[in-house]
Amino acid sequence: MNTNQPITILIAALGGEGGGVLAEWLVELAIRAGHPAQATSIPGVAQRTGATTYYVEIHPQTVEELGGRNPVMSLSPVPGCVDLMAASELLEAVRAIQNGFVSRERTLLLTSSQRTLTTFEKLVPGDGRFDSQRLLEVAASNSRQLATFDVEGTARTAGTVPSAVLFGAIAASGVLPFERSAFEEVIRASGRGVEASLRGFGMAWERCRAALGDAGAVPPAPTPDLVALGHARVVEFQDAAYGELYLQRVARLRAAEQGADPQGRHAGALTREGARFLALWMAFDDVVRVADLKSRSSRFARVRAEAGAKPGDIVRIADHFKPGLAELAGLLPESLAQRLLAIESRRWRNGDPPLAIAVKLRADSLSGFLLLRLMASLRGMRRRGRRYAEEQALIERWLSAVEAAASRGWEHGFELALCARLIKGYGATNERAREDLRHIVEHLSGGDAVDIRRAREAALADEAGTALDLALRQAGAPPRPIRAVPVKWIRHARSRQ
Amino acid sequence: MEVSFSREVEQLRQGAGETFHGEGILAITKALLQSGVAYVGGYQGAPVSHLLDVMVQAGDYMAELGVQVEACSNEASAAAMLGASIHYPLRGAVTWKSVVGTNVAADALSNLASPGVVGGALIVVGEDYGEGASVIQERTHAFAMKSSLLLLDPRPQLPNMVRMVEHGFQLSEACNTPAILQLRVRACHVRGSFECADNRAPAMSRKALRDEPANFDYEKLAHPPATFRQEKLKTDQRLPAARRFIVERGLNEIFAGKREDIGIIVQGGLHNALVRALQQFNLADAFGDAEFPILALNVTYPLVSEQIADFCRGKRAVLVVEEGQPEFIEQEIATVLRRMDVNTAIHGKDLLQMAGEYTVEVIAQGLLKFLVRHAADVSVAGAQDWLAANAMRRKVVAEQLAAPLPPRPPQFCTGCPERPVFSALKLAQQNVGPVHIAADIGCHSFATFEPFGFGHTILGYGMSLASRAGVSPMLKRRALAVMGDGGFWHNGLLTGVESALFNNDDAVLLIMKNGYTSATGTQDIISTPDDETKATAENKHQSLVDRNHTIEDTLKGIGVTWLRTVPSYEVDGMRRTLEEAFTTDVGGLKVIIAEGECQLERQRRVKPWLAGLLKAGKRVVRVKYGVDEDVCSGDHSCIRLSGCPTLTLKDSGDPLKLDPVATVIDGCVGCGLCGENAHAATLCPSFYRVDIVQNPGLGERLLSALRRGIIGMFRKS
Repeated sequence: MNTNQPITILIAALGGEGGGVLAEWLVELAIRAGHPAQATSIPGVAQRTGATTYYVEIHPQTVEELGGRNPVMSLSPVPGCVDLMAASELLEAVRAIQNGFVSRERTLLLTSSQRTLTTFEKLVPGDGRFDSQRLLEVAASNSRQLATFDVEGTARTAGTVPSAVLFGAIAASGVLPFERSAFEEVIRASGRGVEASLRGFGMAWERCRAALGDAGAVPPAPTPDLVALGHARVVEFQDAAYGELYLQRVARLRAAEQGADPQGRHAGALTREGARFLALWMAFDDVVRVADLKSRSSRFARVRAEAGAKPGDIVRIADHFKPGLAELAGLLPESLAQRLLAIESRRWRNGDPPLAIAVKLRADSLSGFLLLRLMASLRGMRRRGRRYAEEQALIERWLSAVEAAASRGWEHGFELALCARLIKGYGATNERAREDLRHIVEHLSGGDAVDIRRAREAALADEAGTALDLALRQAGAPPRPIRAVPVKWIRHARSRQ
Repeated sequence: MEVSFSREVEQLRQGAGETFHGEGILAITKALLQSGVAYVGGYQGAPVSHLLDVMVQAGDYMAELGVQVEACSNEASAAAMLGASIHYPLRGAVTWKSVVGTNVAADALSNLASPGVVGGALIVVGEDYGEGASVIQERTHAFAMKSSLLLLDPRPQLPNMVRMVEHGFQLSEACNTPAILQLRVRACHVRGSFECADNRAPAMSRKALRDEPANFDYEKLAHPPATFRQEKLKTDQRLPAARRFIVERGLNEIFAGKREDIGIIVQGGLHNALVRALQQFNLADAFGDAEFPILALNVTYPLVSEQIADFCRGKRAVLVVEEGQPEFIEQEIATVLRRMDVNTAIHGKDLLQMAGEYTVEVIAQGLLKFLVRHAADVSVAGAQDWLAANAMRRKVVAEQLAAPLPPRPPQFCTGCPERPVFSALKLAQQNVGPVHIAADIGCHSFATFEPFGFGHTILGYGMSLASRAGVSPMLKRRALAVMGDGGFWHNGLLTGVESALFNNDDAVLLIMKNGYTSATGTQDIISTPDDETKATAENKHQSLVDRNHTIEDTLKGIGVTWLRTVPSYEVDGMRRTLEEAFTTDVGGLKVIIAEGECQLERQRRVKPWLAGLLKAGKRVVRVKYGVDEDVCSGDHSCIRLSGCPTLTLKDSGDPLKLDPVATVIDGCVGCGLCGENAHAATLCPSFYRVDIVQNPGLGERLLSALRRGIIGMFRKS
């Protein structure tokens, strides 16, 4: 060990995870062993779950060995000069790597294998999550040695906080010249939540030791038979006849694909992915479906487990529903539905909100449960309802467009088939999604495969549709029509009373 | 405020022979007592909040010493408090976050500096500059120069920081000038140790009262014609006295080097970073012994011309390492050398970056250029390789990542009562159209981040309402000003409310009444619910801010007639109230108070309460929200309306569904926003609320068993 260089530790954590306590413990650990140590942090506005870092330096010689000389320690980490990096979250570990702190020559990297998603990743209508596999690869290829395990999960199991877990991992890493017992002594001396902290420390020690010796490649999961799954979903949603309709539609996709790709170079991707989204679309979420899903026994068990209820605890469930005229109309035949919808459009013209009743339904009470079962039993009405007819019409339109597109080239058909991914959400979100799909089918299905892909990705990227309109314009298609909104007159501030 | 600093308070009592271990800002706090400070004031703000927080909590001990501690209503009132040192031999210290707080205090500082002080006056400012800082524009240095205040920038090691507090008071007294002690963010939070001295009770204090006030003395007024003489005194007597003291007491440190042909002048606060940068060139050892001499300026204003000239004389070139822009110190050094005809080459911002934090890497980059030009014999290859490797590493990683990493700014806490207000504002704007939003300082400024993205301007603490005065008359739709209760009392009542009322402005003000100045560490303010209310409230979950009506009474008293108070968790009610305020025919100022107590403070009450109940085997109801994964279709509109940390995504678990579904993870405090939003925005029906009843009563258990029995008969698996 270079006695002229401090041992440097960089910690990346999220506000509220106890990173400050961890830094304090490390300084305490060093001081107890007689080594000069210093820690700094930048809590600032990162206090509220933002990303933050802590930095610790420990001199390898004891105060006694130094004989009165005081080392000058740095207040901030130096790129490429970090011996140990510990991160409670995977993306934050990689952020420190990107900032240049971690080096292949010097840094042992301990990081949680798990992600705490950022708001930016969460709010995307599609899947905006950063690729974790890529993060792990970057972590592995840019550090001297890597150990990953689930820090947050370990803390949860042990009933403690991530700081105690990271402390255990740091002890296990062997970068610091202190015995395990010295670390544990610091926890004991801290006096708060000692038992839980020691439990977390011990589990982390084991997991980190195991992870240090483990290359950790996960074999890819086998692809399930999506057509079979889709068929089962659709039958469960309605009946065998509806399942038959599903299979007929899948057969049309398959025929279209075989025409476009007779050699099967794409391994049936169009059929498989088309069948996936078709099943989800055909099993659309209406009140009947939702009531059915919400009153299953598997659901009650899942809720208990997710809530962390112990045996003997009573669990009460209140479901938040807001059924409106539109949902009701969806179940009724067209003529009846139109009358209800006329009321809605009158209200809308007057600038009134849609008619809907906000209900908190106690799914665990007798009346609430029976009401859910009653709604679930209305399945028979569905086929004659307006929503059913509407969905089938749009499905047919999409399917024919896929067939037509595939006849011009496999990619065209494939990209258009994937556009069924847009269909999701409830109420206004669902309506907008269908409008988007209809617009793409209408204006782009005869165009270039790349344009279709771009439009689909844009539609999944932002809710307002700004990206979609841009993509449409770039493809030479008209942007989505501007929707009419009722005009509201507001008295201007100038005209005083 | 419910955070306990009991351990820190205990440390304040340490005496000679004991060793203090802890944060820089607390070492400074202890040093104030060792220096015999008689009064302390300030306004909270990162990174110096702890100084005042600890002093406030150490009330008993302060009374024992006779020290007066005042939590001031803003920095101006804190600065004005130093007026006590103008006539009386009282040592006083105040603290705030700079440069914002110094801006607020500028009027009082200017008029304090003019007559000067007889008792030492020390202003401890958090120089909030660099990584993790929130206010990185401007330097406190400019204030020191323009008002002729002393500026201390101590080398960031605890013993030296403590020494500079003690010397700071003496220096202030030696030249009758108030002193600013600036601490960078990391220096405030640096964890180290120092050998304590005994605390000194002030000679004149709350316990040792003076019989008579000082005699009337016009010369002590910052009022013409006295000010004309005071201006002369500053330059003719006070600053020269300061310079003498700085040299005599060795406040600035000269670290000798092995060779004398070149040297470095550095702000004290950057000394450690400079040493680490020199180490990259093998030009310094672990103990700071360097190849070249270093002049570390623990006092950065005023500079001592002779000291600078002596250091530079005989050297080929000197590098000035000075953080922030413009380069005040470097310019002054250049003038000094030119006047004294010392022909040493001076470098600084020509080789180092102009703005931004001076990290080790940044200093090393400047050093490299300096050495190449003036010390060609020094081998720079190692450092060059290191810098190149850093740049290469960043480039390679960026390529490997292929996409930029998403940022992770701070956000509203889980269960924060301000989040639902912005959900309501989002919904209201969907109905009435987008409005101009004048934002403010405080937790609510987190609404400027995703998923809200609200706020057109932030002009200053409590200034949102004032900052829309020129905008709203020009827009067809009414503008909205958002303000916290902290900002309201700091400044907003006068600059905003009074001005809007006086001018009969048609304005909408939304006040976040959460009961504390939360963003700075939940300090109490005049509208904080009192301790008795908290102690007697049966349900500790309950928000208690409705028990204090100071804000409402003040607004009514000053003449606000359109005043609505809405519990912040009533999203639909808040949406309607906002829409009404935006569209009503009523002119003038309309104020909406969003009432909901800071969740951090509530949790500090709730946690021990629940733990106690559970320990005693009593009935406890825990609330959590959840999402049915098979009902969620993965469009994430709920997240775009909330952004709660515990409302996140997971794999759908359904091989057919590619997009991740929403999920509520551990940490949910059951605030109810998910349910409120689901109703107010007519989101999907996948949200549910779970009440987990621990230790249920017998009747409850029987009823539950009966229910489950009957339901079991009708269930589908």
